[in-house]
Amino acid sequence: MISKVLIANRGEIVRRVVRACGDLGLRAAAVYSDADADASYTRQADEAYRIGEANPVKSYLNIEALVGAIKESGADAVHPGYGFLSENADFAEAVESAGAIWIGPPSTILRAIESKCYCRQIATKVGVPVVPGSTEVLTTPDEVREIGHRVNYPLLLKLDRGGGGKGIEKVEEPGQIDEVFDRVRRIGTMAFGNADIYVEMAITEPRHIEVQFLADRRGNVVCLGERECSIQRRHQKIIEESPSPVVTPVQREQLTDYATKLAQGMGYVGAGTMEFLRSGTGNFYFMEVNARLQVEHPVSEFVTGHDIVQWQLRIADGESLTFTQDDVRLTGHSIEARCYAEEPGTFRPSPGTIKGLHLPTMGRHVRIDHALEVGGAVPPYYDPLIAKVISWDTDRAGAIEYLKQALSEFWVEGVATTVPVNLLILSSEAYVSARLHTAFLDELFAQEVAWDAYTPKRFVSDS
Amino acid sequence: MNATIAAHMPGLVARVVVEPGQSVAKGDEVAVINCMKAELSVESHVDGTVKEILVKEWDEMEVGVPMVVVETA
Repeated sequence: MISKVLIANRGEIVRRVVRACGDLGLRAAAVYSDADADASYTRQADEAYRIGEANPVKSYLNIEALVGAIKESGADAVHPGYGFLSENADFAEAVESAGAIWIGPPSTILRAIESKCYCRQIATKVGVPVVPGSTEVLTTPDEVREIGHRVNYPLLLKLDRGGGGKGIEKVEEPGQIDEVFDRVRRIGTMAFGNADIYVEMAITEPRHIEVQFLADRRGNVVCLGERECSIQRRHQKIIEESPSPVVTPVQREQLTDYATKLAQGMGYVGAGTMEFLRSGTGNFYFMEVNARLQVEHPVSEFVTGHDIVQWQLRIADGESLTFTQDDVRLTGHSIEARCYAEEPGTFRPSPGTIKGLHLPTMGRHVRIDHALEVGGAVPPYYDPLIAKVISWDTDRAGAIEYLKQALSEFWVEGVATTVPVNLLILSSEAYVSARLHTAFLDELFAQEVAWDAYTPKRFVSDS
Repeated sequence: MNATIAAHMPGLVARVVVEPGQSVAKGDEVAVINCMKAELSVESHVDGTVKEILVKEWDEMEVGVPMVVVETA
């Protein structure tokens, strides 16, 4: 039985996991770097342990220090949150070796699904479409050329164990293969210590649709609907929603079937997300599995009524799912706006100290996940995400209105935020009519934006 | 005359891209700071020769911390 959970992360997601621990009667232990010694999340947890310097390599990415915190705290389980080491098989293995439960898929499965080719092989085996290309690692440019005879150009060269959009390069015609192949290999060696390459056909006008699922130790899998994540800037998601406005009920059933077969084929345990690409012609292709809790999980919680973090903890503790796919109903519509500490027009980072704060009024239609407080630091060393504002209503138009209202009440002094970008997107005709695609922001920013019109008004008094 | 190029944003030194003895022109990148996962270029504001590197990879930067000394003609 789990009794104490160490949360190997920082910021808002620690508060989210602490709450789920409290809901289930578990103790929660936080960790902090020197930059987060005074952070609010460390005080919300029952205990907190220093793991190193501000530099994440010396703290939140430092397996040795984190294992030290497991031993010091006596935690019997570790929740990795998202980002940092959340999908790192070495860390999961170190946690298991330290005698604690890893809240996520076992390290052996994490290690296997790190390989995109392995996942593509599983998909092919269970009958789920993948983007045409190779399902084996390619060792020479000639092998790429051979694939090029079978599928249409342009091709995308990708790293088998890559991530974060790094090392993905387009090849327009066969003459470019040698040069791009070498470049991707170099990036792989430098960024991931692995230069294995595979190839896919480039999909035009893609939309990113992902399916949330839960899998217990007995092989039961349920899907909690899909999320639409097409509004992005350089691989950084900005607005997410569930359900997707372009997925029909028949397609949803198909995606649910795909995700279930994939999770079972992988022997997956825990909460996870299957990512799919939808081509301009409406075909769905499996892309990859995200073996962690995702930033945007609240929209799925809002429309299904299930607490995904509680289920992570319960599954890790050996519980079986108490409901089936037939019990899952998607009710209404939920949208999440990510608020980053960045200048709205330029997305230039804006670290600093929170000097003033007014958060939106919460209620049945609005949820805010954050770790902000007046006097709190927004350090320059970590991800710029500072808060997530999530709305729900019976339909999409209502969810947009509730989210706009909430964001217009989100006032922060001390750092710049992208709240005006969120308001601009939600106010645009293209968003309201759900014409979403990956170049959405470029089009929106093509004209000069009057940012003042989208900036929340200050309505707290001077103290 | 020596000119000091200082950090314009807080964060971590991602890399220094010049070496002592190297000549730089105004506007040339001398180092890169990683701030909130974004890579920001630190540029020389003078023409000259790099005299001294004062920081190394992963050093924590505050605004105004000297990073590179350039000897101007």
